[in-house]
Amino acid sequence: MRYFGQKLIQLVIVVFVVTFVVSLALGAIPNAEERIIASTGQGVFTEEDRNAILDEVHLRDPAVVQYGYFVKDLVTFDWGVTFGGNQSVRSSIWDGLQISLRLMVYAQLVALLLAIPLALLAAYRNGGVFDRVSTTVSFGFISLPNYVLATVLGLLFTVRWKIFPALSKNVGFFEAPFDHFKNFFLPTLVLALPLAATYMRLLRSDLINTLQSDFITTARAKGLSTSHILFGHALRPSLFSLLTAAAVNVGALVGGSVVVETAFNLNGLGRKTVVGIFSSEFRLVQITVVVLALVYVFINFLADIVYGLLDPRVRGARSV
Amino acid sequence: MSETLTPTPSAGDDAGTSADTQKPTKYRKRGQVAKWLSIVWLVFLVFTAVGASWLPYVKHSCEQFAEKADCRTHVDPNPLLSERPPFWATFSDTTRPVVGDAPERVGLFGTDTNGFDIFSRSMFGARNSLLIGAMSIVFGILIGGTLGLIAGYVGKRTDKVIDTIMNIFLSFPALLLAIFIVGFFGSSGADEAESRSIGPIILALVILSIPPIARLVRANTMVYAQREFVLAARSLGAKNGRIIAREILPNVMPAMVTFAITGMAILIVAEGALAYLGLSVSAPTPTWGSMIFGGQQKLETAWWMAIMPAVVLFLTVLAINLLGDVLSEKFRIKEAIG
Repeated sequence: MRYFGQKLIQLVIVVFVVTFVVSLALGAIPNAEERIIASTGQGVFTEEDRNAILDEVHLRDPAVVQYGYFVKDLVTFDWGVTFGGNQSVRSSIWDGLQISLRLMVYAQLVALLLAIPLALLAAYRNGGVFDRVSTTVSFGFISLPNYVLATVLGLLFTVRWKIFPALSKNVGFFEAPFDHFKNFFLPTLVLALPLAATYMRLLRSDLINTLQSDFITTARAKGLSTSHILFGHALRPSLFSLLTAAAVNVGALVGGSVVVETAFNLNGLGRKTVVGIFSSEFRLVQITVVVLALVYVFINFLADIVYGLLDPRVRGARSV
Repeated sequence: MSETLTPTPSAGDDAGTSADTQKPTKYRKRGQVAKWLSIVWLVFLVFTAVGASWLPYVKHSCEQFAEKADCRTHVDPNPLLSERPPFWATFSDTTRPVVGDAPERVGLFGTDTNGFDIFSRSMFGARNSLLIGAMSIVFGILIGGTLGLIAGYVGKRTDKVIDTIMNIFLSFPALLLAIFIVGFFGSSGADEAESRSIGPIILALVILSIPPIARLVRANTMVYAQREFVLAARSLGAKNGRIIAREILPNVMPAMVTFAITGMAILIVAEGALAYLGLSVSAPTPTWGSMIFGGQQKLETAWWMAIMPAVVLFLTVLAINLLGDVLSEKFRIKEAIG
């Protein structure tokens, strides 16, 4: 119980500091006031207009008051409107989140579907031709930066063969399934391939360890079929580090697919934030970063708790 | 690169490590070849990066050429040589007009829209990319390593405080944090694109690299701090500083060095990602990322502009990763983060 208590305390501290830092980050930006005024794009101001705008973002209040307003707005979902346009921050983030979530789910699915069978094949004939080829190829994919992959795939699929559109549009799945596939195929592939390579290597080394254990020998001695041994006996105990990596990547992918979203012109959460930073949409950036950070923190917290439940040794260890 | 920026050194290959000793020599030789190839490539790259200004493939000014058509530099634009494919690429033509006796294909990597030679720009780019990567990882190791050593050795409350701070840094999406730092603190005025120097980029990458390094060093330190030789040193009256410097640090070093090498690859890629988003060193100084980004706009007419620097970047990252893999097998480093 002490383990969970400690984790909970740490969670509270991290959440507090993250929100606090983000709420005050506005004041740390050089020329924040001018940038905000400029981003509203309404030209000349009287002093009163100026003050009204700046009062709205509470920039001139003391730190604690700023933080109070920030938390209040955050919890009540009163996220205001973007400085430049008239879209509300909430709907803007929601639009971006849909695209990013879609990409994340697709990429994870494709990566896992690729990685698990490949890892099983490679680990079963450890040291064989397939193992060496797949390990080498996956090593290559791990070293492949995603903007390089995006460029190469873009050249092949959109310029040379013209199969997929160069700039993806956000077409809903139910409106036009085929178009949806066409528009999301390349971004998904760019995200999924390096991910699959990482997953494959993790699962392979765990599987090799598992396949050397006694219960596999027993299963083999019982005369079970190879596929039964692999899927029924070997896979489950080897999934631990794979699932850890997948869980950590959920958080990272939601906000972290900035490059892929930029490469394929998808207005996901990551790209929105980057554009927001450039166009001084501080409110949008603040809220997005806080939401992403909180998602990450909670996923990690849940992962820690699940480990604690699954493996009593973790609870006893001194490590936090 | 997985965009997480969380290095997974050698992807936990301890199973493969134990098997390697029994592998037939044929496979081990193949690993050796890969290792030496990557060393050769990196030495070549460092050499050209350091000597970029003095090496013969870069002509500094067009004045030394009698024929304007031969002029290939990385500084003087030459409209006669705009967007030429590399000389070996007989399958692709330039879409630009070929005037007079200007060659249709030119250079090892071709030329870009300004007529700059892409090969020499890649080598000047190596200078920036490698410098940024190396500087960031050095500072990252210095700060992160110190924090990790303190956290792992002192333990208790200090450990908790440092660990919590690292968790806070990790909870921000890595690339967004870097973009934020570079985007807002990199430029002094309203002009975003003007005069962005190398400093803020290194700062951003250092901040990204500190938490993983600190975690790794902390985990390793904790293991060694409990060992008998530390106890022995302490009972001989050694001070804490001495124990850390003379007993623990040499043991933690291999893991740190291996991690630094893999980390450098990741940071080079991260710099490329920043450049790709238009946030790296400003225009006249090329980095690989900004070259790829610039070339991507021209993918339909001049593929070599993006692909050639991308190949150089990929080979470099691959070579660094391979070396990191070899080192981690040598030192038998297991996944120590967790």
